[in-house]
Amino acid sequence: MITIENLCFSYTQNTPYLLKNLCLTIHKGDYISILGDNGSGKSTLIKLLLKLLTPTEGKIVDTFTNLAYLPQRFENLNSQFPITVYEVLDCYRKTLKLKDKDCIFKYLDLVKMRDFSNSLIGKLSGGQCQKIFIARALMGTPDLLILDEPSTGVDLKSQTEIYSLIKNINVSEKVTVISVEHNLKAAIDNSTLIYHLSQGSGHLCNPDDYINEYVSASTRSDRNASL
Amino acid sequence: MLHYSFMQNAFMISILISILCPLIGMFLVLKRYSMIGDTLSHASLAGVAVGLMCKVNPILSAFLLTSVFGVIIEFLRDHYKKYAELILVIVLSLSVGIAITIISAGAVHANVESFLFGSVLTVTREDFYTVLILSIVSLITIVGLYHQLVFITFDEEGAKIAGIKDKMINYIFSILVASTISVSIRIVGILVISSLIALPVATALQLNKGFKTTMLYSILFSFIDITLGIVISFWINAAPGGVTALISVFLLVFILLLKKLNFYEIIK
Repeated sequence: MITIENLCFSYTQNTPYLLKNLCLTIHKGDYISILGDNGSGKSTLIKLLLKLLTPTEGKIVDTFTNLAYLPQRFENLNSQFPITVYEVLDCYRKTLKLKDKDCIFKYLDLVKMRDFSNSLIGKLSGGQCQKIFIARALMGTPDLLILDEPSTGVDLKSQTEIYSLIKNINVSEKVTVISVEHNLKAAIDNSTLIYHLSQGSGHLCNPDDYINEYVSASTRSDRNASL
Repeated sequence: MLHYSFMQNAFMISILISILCPLIGMFLVLKRYSMIGDTLSHASLAGVAVGLMCKVNPILSAFLLTSVFGVIIEFLRDHYKKYAELILVIVLSLSVGIAITIISAGAVHANVESFLFGSVLTVTREDFYTVLILSIVSLITIVGLYHQLVFITFDEEGAKIAGIKDKMINYIFSILVASTISVSIRIVGILVISSLIALPVATALQLNKGFKTTMLYSILFSFIDITLGIVISFWINAAPGGVTALISVFLLVFILLLKKLNFYEIIK
């Protein structure tokens, strides 16, 4: 379980805070999508959960023991980097001190990417690359999976496969999923809860309420604007 | 040629350098820190000058001072992330300033030129043993940290989240760079050491292989560069540093041409 209590954060350590008095409890097995406009603090919240940043005020109590993170890959990946899919997974396996070498192929089979084990990671398409990083994230049998816009740069067919994979892990393995999303449809279809960030404040609701509160309102305002 | 004892020493050191330089170079080039090699090689000149002035082994003093400068760069890089190049300029000015002041003040009564351009004639057994110890310790450290180094180089944030102590490993890596430069300055010289760190890797990268295979190819190219550099410099009576740098550029151009002509497809 993760409990966020009165969390405030500012990169300058002073007011105005980017995140203001956030309170949130995430239970085992939840699938929470974090939505909000650009600059609303979604990625900052993820970095706080990953302990890459320290809260300015308040605290985060995290009782999950095994965390895996799926970054927003394509922004940072150097397509010229000389590393094969097998080497990427093998590095992670050795970091986790897993003795069984064959587990690499087990996870490649899970994402249907065994045939690409000797391919250079930079030569893969967006969707293929994301599947490899999902396989890497699952190698440590995590109890918490944090995703940063998993569908960025991924074609529609691969998006469906990736979300079905994540949802399946969430349901069958009871892995808690926290995902920063720009993909509204994916968030509504897959999440059990949606956390909406706006002007530094957060609001938790279920997907149906989210459609009523935010999606309809914005659709209405769009319609009015066009008239 | 090999019946001269200085040539035997030079060849044995060359084999060690041809393994060490591309090993370190792989990580430096892929992290896009090639210029750190250049800065630290200039920092080693200050170490050599201090060593010669205090009459201690110049390779050892170069290693100590270069390590200090390497750690300073890493420390400042962490604090001034957006001004990495500026940090290199500051360290370069400081180290070259120390070296030029000591040398020009006449405090050094030895041949500094051999460290600048590289020399096989001045390589002694003592140098060989110093280089041997530093190389073995460096190689063992690289092998021990191999997977962490690859992970940090490929995905620094992911490595940090996976629990790798990235800061500590980056500091150790700075000392490894210092060690590699110190063992190489005798043969290839301070002025061209950075080419030996970056060029064999740049050549191997053209082959589009995985990490380990690229590393093995860069060791092969580095070995060709240094061996030919020493042999040719012996016959034409030139400094090995310059010849090695030229050969490493020619080899890179040669591989680029083969690639352009689709040579690999033809031989398949």
